[in-house]
Amino acid sequence: MKIHLYALSTCPYCRMTKRYLDEHGITYEITEVDLLDGDEKQAAVDEVKRLSGGTSFPVLVADNEVIVGFNKSKMAAVLGL
Amino acid sequence: MRRVFHEGTTIEDLKAYMGPFAERLGYKFNTETEFVDEVLESELQVLDRDGDVYCPCRVRTGDPKEDLKIVCPCIPFFRDEFAAMRKCWCGLFIRQDVEDGAELIGVIEQPEPGTAVAVPVCLLADLPSGTARHVKVGKNDIAVVRVGDEVYALSNVCRHAFAPLAEGFVDGHIIACPWHGWRYDVRDGTTDHPNADVRTFPATVRDGEVLVTVPLGRAR
Ligand code: SF4
Ligand code: FES
Repeated sequence: MKIHLYALSTCPYCRMTKRYLDEHGITYEITEVDLLDGDEKQAAVDEVKRLSGGTSFPVLVADNEVIVGFNKSKMAAVLGL
Repeated sequence: MRRVFHEGTTIEDLKAYMGPFAERLGYKFNTETEFVDEVLESELQVLDRDGDVYCPCRVRTGDPKEDLKIVCPCIPFFRDEFAAMRKCWCGLFIRQDVEDGAELIGVIEQPEPGTAVAVPVCLLADLPSGTARHVKVGKNDIAVVRVGDEVYALSNVCRHAFAPLAEGFVDGHIIACPWHGWRYDVRDGTTDHPNADVRTFPATVRDGEVLVTVPLGRAR
């Protein structure tokens, strides 16, 4: 399963999500959107909007599932934990 | 609200001005104090980097007008969503009547757009009888009007030339437009002018707060 986390370096829920994934030994790609610049940042923001309908973080994409926020039960269900 | 930041601004400084501001909007700091401190620490990090206390959980677009909406506390801009979730996105603030904020931390889930939600718009004490005030709830510009102990909510936009009705004159159950005096009944939005009635919204008072019920806007 391909897992991608869109996060902000400043966001508490993002930190919780990272901790949670790490604790469960999940490997994932991460984009820290606020650390990007210019076009790269814009592209990442557009992607987050397209995926989640908003600009709230974190946004976790696991195959076709999109989870906004630090939602333990949903993550557990989607990731089979 | 005092918003002058100086070198060495602390989370206690943030709490001192944000708390009372949130309270008048029907919110309080989360009951999980450690979590509150963590979010505020993050805001100080953002302040340091970006020059203002932007929301640590959302991204700046670079459009100054849009970015103003994510300066903490952003409650006035997201009244309907937050009322539905009973907290702000980050969970830094929770509704006044939530006893345990712990379970609201983390999950960001909004009810379906269109769901009716009772949104706190101001304290009754801030709305003297015989006056009106403008509130923006989602995309709705609303005039809330107090007559004695009753409150009413109607569209703030006069159907004649779009003047803000909340700046008009309240006389019993009538509000008169500030520009050319069209008169609307605050109870049902009716006016004597043909095809010019304005929309009304259910309004109530609970625990000293004025609540206006609106359909939830599209997710953001
Ligand atoms: S979502 Fe909460 S923490 Fe973020 S800016 Fe709004 S009030 Fe502040
Ligand atoms: S704009 Fe209200 S009466 Fe003219």
